[in-house]
Amino acid sequence: MTRKNVAVFTATGCKACENAILDIHYQVSSLARWAHFTFWPYVLGSSWEDLEKSDELDVCFFAGAIRTASDEEAALKLRQKSKILVAFGACAAFGGMPGLSNLHPGGESALCKSPSDDDCPELPPLRSRVAALQQIVQADYILPGCSPPQNYIWAILQSLVCQSESAARISFAASRLPQPIAQAVMAGVLPPGGSIFAGEKAVCASCARIKEEKRFESFKRIHQIDPDPGRCLLEQGLLCQGIATREGCGGLCTGAGVPCRGCFGKAGAVFDPGAKMVSAVSSTFDTTDGEEMKKIAEEFVDLAGTFYRYTMPAQCALLQNRKELK
Amino acid sequence: MNVFEPRIITFLCNWCTYVAADAAGVSRLTQKTNTRVVRVFCSGMVDPSYVIKAFAEGADGVLVGGCHPGDCHYIAGNMKAWRRSFLLKKLLNELGVEDERFRLEWIAASEPHKYAKVVNEMSEGLRSLGSFRSSYSCPSQTPRDHEKAVQSSPFS
Amino acid sequence: MANISIGPLRWQAEPSRVEIRQSGESVRSYYQVTAPRDVSSMCKGRPVEELPRILSILSASHHLASAVTLDNLFGVTPPPTAKNIRDALVQSLTFIHHARKLLFLLSSSQNPFGLRAELAVRAGTSPVAHHVLDEIGHAMALAQEAASILGGRHPHPLTAVAGGVSRPVKEIHYRRLAEIAESSLPYALRLRDIFREKIIGSGNGLYELMDLTVSPIASITFSGVEDAIVLTGADGSGSTTFTANKTTDTLEALREPWTHLPFVHVKGKTWQGPISDQSEGLFFVGPLARLNRCKPARTPQAEEERLHLVNSLGPAPHFSAIAAYWSLVVEIIQASEIMKDLCTEEKLTGLEVRTIASNPGGQHAHGALEAPEGFIYHHYQVDERGIVDDVTVLDAASENNALRCLLTQKMVEDAFEHGKPWDRAKKTIELSLLPF
Ligand code: SF4
Ligand code: SF4
Ligand code: SF4
Ligand code: FES
Repeated sequence: MTRKNVAVFTATGCKACENAILDIHYQVSSLARWAHFTFWPYVLGSSWEDLEKSDELDVCFFAGAIRTASDEEAALKLRQKSKILVAFGACAAFGGMPGLSNLHPGGESALCKSPSDDDCPELPPLRSRVAALQQIVQADYILPGCSPPQNYIWAILQSLVCQSESAARISFAASRLPQPIAQAVMAGVLPPGGSIFAGEKAVCASCARIKEEKRFESFKRIHQIDPDPGRCLLEQGLLCQGIATREGCGGLCTGAGVPCRGCFGKAGAVFDPGAKMVSAVSSTFDTTDGEEMKKIAEEFVDLAGTFYRYTMPAQCALLQNRKELK
Repeated sequence: MNVFEPRIITFLCNWCTYVAADAAGVSRLTQKTNTRVVRVFCSGMVDPSYVIKAFAEGADGVLVGGCHPGDCHYIAGNMKAWRRSFLLKKLLNELGVEDERFRLEWIAASEPHKYAKVVNEMSEGLRSLGSFRSSYSCPSQTPRDHEKAVQSSPFS
Repeated sequence: MANISIGPLRWQAEPSRVEIRQSGESVRSYYQVTAPRDVSSMCKGRPVEELPRILSILSASHHLASAVTLDNLFGVTPPPTAKNIRDALVQSLTFIHHARKLLFLLSSSQNPFGLRAELAVRAGTSPVAHHVLDEIGHAMALAQEAASILGGRHPHPLTAVAGGVSRPVKEIHYRRLAEIAESSLPYALRLRDIFREKIIGSGNGLYELMDLTVSPIASITFSGVEDAIVLTGADGSGSTTFTANKTTDTLEALREPWTHLPFVHVKGKTWQGPISDQSEGLFFVGPLARLNRCKPARTPQAEEERLHLVNSLGPAPHFSAIAAYWSLVVEIIQASEIMKDLCTEEKLTGLEVRTIASNPGGQHAHGALEAPEGFIYHHYQVDERGIVDDVTVLDAASENNALRCLLTQKMVEDAFEHGKPWDRAKKTIELSLLPF
């Protein structure tokens, strides 16, 4: 079997996604039998010239959001060069936290100072809006999460790189994936194009906290209460986004006592995470009096920055279509 | 002359506001026909995502019409709609949708005049606010414009 | 007049490259970070209690620094168990952070993912055997497990909240932590041996390469014990201290048009731009800065290693890359020892892990932390509803930015003088920037 040419790259984000690939129990070195890492600037110091000279890439893992002109350029280059392009992590998949800046369009001008002398090098121009990889080029698979959990990184490596020939941890890799993807991973064939390597339902489905259909009279903020460990956080008055978010992490945050913020993007059946949250949260208001409803609603702060924490560019129905302002 | 005609999507409850709208139409009470009516069985079934979708698809305003409190055929559908409206407004606001663009009104079958008043008020308001899309540009995604990108190549 | 661009640079957390402008006999380099972090547009308008999660995008330690700032904002003191949990998290993050850098160093002249057979035939440098890299990898995996138990998630932790941590450590988790702590010290010592064998005593070129030194510059550390920030003079003496709330009176960030990463320097002292080592306002942070404070290490075996360093390289302060790498080794031993010390039942278990604020909180607060990568500082300004109006974040990257520029310039000048090919210069630059 010939080894696959693999590339790893991060645009604007952090290096945690790439470190997460390194971190798969530090067994990446054992991947050498299947993968030839042809382009990996962070670890191998590969340059763009190396990429040009290299053969076609079989798989490219692309992390980070598209914020600058060079990010955009990198996306185009890597798309052209790769058979399979994977949007790796919340930033690449949905725009991630850097995408929050889309709430303040035009803010990028504050980040650029005009050059003092003609000789000094220029910075790549900033886009007025942060975009997800998908909004620039077609991505073949999506691996959500900030950063993606280890089992899905395994799953995607097994599936796309090893063609499931590595015996290591295959059942671990396939756990919690929807059936069609899991079967493909096990069988060593490519999962259906566009597959999202995560669950289908909402985080609530795998969250260990119990819902009691309780309602609340006032909204709480995480520094104000020490939530009851067994009960649903939303029903204790905290904004928890598990209900609008795709499952896959197994309720990582809620298990650690903090509410979900949606790093897996919206769940399968959800049109817009914010709309879903508005309806879920409002239904817990314990009142039929308009004035009281208004009062409870007024206590909430920063809905947009919370409901679209990781997904503003790609999944906020109202903002995603806003055109790049030139 | 090119007068801006706001597009208002209305979600009207079958049992009340829809009837009122019908009557208002028959007696030609509304000035302009810039509303698009979606008949629903209860204001409680107008999910916030319908409203967001309407705006995302180019509506300039959204009106939800339901039965007066206590009159809902499904007991508390309108309460549900009411409860949601506050947070929805707040979210829309944060995303740049002005308050005037979204309204929830109780209009009974017997109130075609109220319906006409609400719609006329809203159209006036939106006309002076202007098109929602003008601030939102066209819905095309970022262009996949290889040529442009290659020209400004920071890599060379 | 020629323009050369080398990059992207390996191992840097920020997307960066080096731009070189050469005319006649002079050569000028620009260490350029090409994407903004834009912390303020991520944080402004957010509820302040969300910042620990948002700022963890900079590094896991910013999660903790942010929680410390929230403690101050709401005027709450975390219970002792919570403090221990946070401290244990810092130790495991230190282990991971330092081990990763050493792993990068050790595998620098080879493709760590290459086939064994290919490695064997590659001539010139002596590659580090795969099982050695695997061993380090295994130690890091353990430390990561500890970090995800303590922080709830790795690499972006979740558990630090205002007044403590969001959940206690369960008994089963505590047991695992104790196991990990027990086994990480032998790994740290093994790493020390590998370092001595492969780097110090190997003669494979890495040692000479790292013998490069910048001229002495001041350094900044944060001492949790004294609750003060210490500015140590370039010659290792004349240290001045100030408290966290005086940070922005003392330090200031400058922007240059050609890089997105600001330059932090000491206010009111001379600043002659990023590639001059003549500025009095210049300082750096990190493991070497901590070493330069000349304080004994906190634990016995780490102190032994520190003394070994001092005996070999001379007394601190040091400004060479080799000393910087070596201080990583000292601290990795120290982190393992402290971890072992902290992972006792009475220190880590207990249900009392959080103090709930009884007041709505102040309008602004400061927080400082000595993170694995160096001294970091946060300041938040909030409105009466606790919504963030303004944030100031000093991170190790912008504090060391001037040092990085200096090192880069030095390497570039050296390559230019000796007519070295630029791809070799790139490797040297990468290696010299890595430990800072
Ligand atoms: S998804 Fe999260 S971990 Fe990945 S690059 Fe973005 S911020 Fe970093
Ligand atoms: S809303 Fe949050 S806490 Fe409640 S069940 Fe869903 S994920 Fe769990
Ligand atoms: S609980 Fe939500 S925010 Fe947390 S890891 Fe899972 S999807 Fe991401
Ligand atoms: S039936 Fe009219 S609002 Fe429910």
